[in-house]
Parts: sequence; structure tokens; C-alpha cells
Amino acid sequence: MSFRSFLYISFCLPLLLAAGCKDDDYALPTPQSGLQNDAIKRTLGPNVIGLNIEFAYAMAILPDQGKLVSAQAEASIAGATGTYLEHRSFFTDPNGGIDTGVPVAEPSTTNGTTTSVTFNKDTSAATLRYFYRIPEEARGKTVNFTFSAKSSNGEAVSLSMGPYTISKMDMKLDMAATDAAACYISIEDMAVYTAAEATANPEKIDLVYLYRTPAGLTFNHALVAPAADPQYLPGVTLPAGVDRNTKIIKTWALRDRHLARLEFGIYIDDPDFEQKSFTDAPNFAVNLKKEAGAWVETADGKYRAYIFVNNVNNGSKTATISMKRYTMQ
Amino acid sequence: MKRHMKIIVAVLLAALAWAGCKKEHPVDEDGLLITNRAECYVSDFDLWGADHQTVRTKNPTIDTVACTINIEVFFGTDLRNLYPRFSLVTDAKLDPKIAGKTDFSDLANPRQYTVVSGNRQVRKTYTVLVSVQQ
Repeated sequence: MSFRSFLYISFCLPLLLAAGCKDDDYALPTPQSGLQNDAIKRTLGPNVIGLNIEFAYAMAILPDQGKLVSAQAEASIAGATGTYLEHRSFFTDPNGGIDTGVPVAEPSTTNGTTTSVTFNKDTSAATLRYFYRIPEEARGKTVNFTFSAKSSNGEAVSLSMGPYTISKMDMKLDMAATDAAACYISIEDMAVYTAAEATANPEKIDLVYLYRTPAGLTFNHALVAPAADPQYLPGVTLPAGVDRNTKIIKTWALRDRHLARLEFGIYIDDPDFEQKSFTDAPNFAVNLKKEAGAWVETADGKYRAYIFVNNVNNGSKTATISMKRYTMQ
Repeated sequence: MKRHMKIIVAVLLAALAWAGCKKEHPVDEDGLLITNRAECYVSDFDLWGADHQTVRTKNPTIDTVACTINIEVFFGTDLRNLYPRFSLVTDAKLDPKIAGKTDFSDLANPRQYTVVSGNRQVRKTYTVLVSVQQ
């Protein structure tokens, strides 16, 4: 290769590359013929009993080929009461950006595992939300979904989604704990009891909530095991038989989305409970603030829980707590 | 063309030879740079709890002559699960290394950490004296 050829190629190659990188002009896509469908799962995080798994199921057919007749969602395990397929198609209102629903079908009916709607408007395209309320029967199992639609020209389409694992854990939101009143927390029952109630079920009490402001010390809101050193239970007279030694690990910035309902996309799932180490964990957690949390293991090792502090009130000596609980044995 | 190629090859070889002859900086057994600095002290110290929040009530008292660190922690601090955090003078390192949670609950036998200077010639052992807010 001569030096002149080398120069020629060196000049032409960048020009060729620049031309190759040019964007193509946009062209409207050609719609596919026949009835089409697609779906996405809208909910994130673990699938907890009692919560919804939400899907958006989209279906469409070219107007000159037909109209939508019906749509249905079938779950491998029947959903709990509250499962429904939306009968409205939503658009975003430009005035305020609010999702606005336009009814396109009769309200859905559920028969066993199948939830369906029948369109009652001339509709060629719709995206319907499907809310599957996770039933108790699905605990620890996997659930599959089949979405299907029919059009007036006799076509039918279907789409499978899943499998989705349903969590074993339970959840309880917004329990009110009050110092020297409803302050005895049971992980087993996921409840806060008064002294009288704790006396009736002392073997179920795992934690005591208290609020103290001793002079010169930082104590504030605390979760303490009944068996903890009395210095962490100042002024507390435990009901007879309340003596469990619960392990507690104080945590900060773990704002589980289910419990906190804040903007943080963090979810605690079954494996977090299984893998959490409670070796050398103390039996007290003092100076808890709003949005703090505590990992807890019951004395018998049967339950592990994560308690999130939604809110505290120093004046009324109260705290609002939410809990996720996992059964270990 | 041949002449050009010869020049390019010569330049490349010269560059390679220059890079190859450059003096290497000495590193220690941890792969850290050994420098000329002989300073050897702790400039700040903190303890974090299991929630990764500080547990100290105020700034610690660091005596760089007596080599002691006095730190007071909040009442109710779980002394068995603390994360020590040292700030050292430039280029210094710590021995033993901090590997994670550390037990500071044995107040009668306080933990000791040795600061090693940047030139790795000076070693000073600091004692961490923890007291709980009373």
C-alpha cells in the first residue's frame, strides 16, 4: 500500500463512519394485523398476603377488523375477595395529570379463578388493570396468571404471566403503642396489649414500649425485652409472667415500602428474615426515632420480625409502629 | 512509506523503554504506598452502632502523647456490636485492620489499635477507653 493510499483511506474512513451514525427519520410503525395483547406487572416488591398484585393488560385490534368483546384474567389460585379486573380504560387528563377512567365494559365478575369483563362500548383498544388480592391459600406458593381477550371477528389471544412467589411473611400496619398503657407488644399476635391483656397472655409478650427522658441521658422511645436489664425498663412494673428475652437489633434508614409507605423503594422479603443473624444481638433498643426500625427475634426463635416506627409523639408518649413477621419454624 | 514505519517503530520503542525504566514506588504487604511521612497519630475517632449511626455523645478526647482515646457513648449503646472508625494522619494505616463489628463491652480490658506511619517506621499503640453516658 502506497503512502498516498494510506492518506486517502485515513481521510475517507472517518467520513464513512460519520455518515453511518446518522439517525434515520422517524416513521410511524405499521400496526400488526389481528387481535394483539400484552401485559406488564405494575406492583414491585414481595407479594404479601392481603396485598394486591396489579397488572395492566392491554389488547387491541385494528378498527376495520373488529372490536373488543371480552377480556379475562385467570389465576392459578383463586384471588381473595377484592380481586377484580378494571372495567375502565384510563387516560391521563392533561388538566392536572390525573388518571381518569372511561368505562368501556360492565364491572368485572369473578367466578372461581377467573375474573372477566364484557365490553359494552365500541372499543378497538383498551388497557385494563387487574388487581389480584393475594389469598391466604397462596402463602409460600407460586401463582401464575393467564390473560385473554376476544374480538368481534372471532379471534382470541392469550398471554401468560408468572410464576410469582407469594411471601410467607405477615404484615400489620399502624399499631398504636402508648407508654404505660398499651405498651406490651406480641410478635405472635402482631398486636399491642395493655397490662391487663398482657397478664392474660404473658407468654405472648415479646417487647415493652416505653418513653423516658431521664436527666442527662438519651433514652426517648424504646423497645425493650421484658427480660432485659431493669435499667432499660425504668419505672416499668411487668405483669406477672411477662419475662421473655427477645433479641433486638436497632436499625436506621430501612424504610420498607410496605410498612413506611414512603418514597423509598426498599422491600423486606422472606430471605431477609431467613438470613438475618441475631448472634450477639442485645435485648433492648433505646433512643428510637421516627423512621427507625428494629429487627426482632422471639425468645423461642419461632418468629422474626421487622418493626418500623412510623411516627412518635413525645408529648403523648406514643408511637405508631408497623410490623412484618416471618415464621421460622 | 518504509522510512515512516521505521520512525514510528523507533518512537514507540523509545516510549516503551522510558516507561519500563521508571522507578517503582515501594508498597507494603497490603499494597499500600510507603511514603516519607513519619507522622503517626489518630486525628479523629468515632463509634457507630448496629444502625450505622454514631453512638458518641460528644467529640472524643484524643491524647496523642499518652496514646489514648476517651469516648463517651449514649446510654443504652450495645457495646458488643460497634463499628470503630478511625481518622489517621496522611499515609498512616491501622493494625489490626477493622474488619467489621467489634466488641467493646469489656471495659476493664480496652481495645488497642496501633497506628503505623506512612514510612512504616513509626508505630504507636492507642488505647480506646469507652465510657457509657450515666
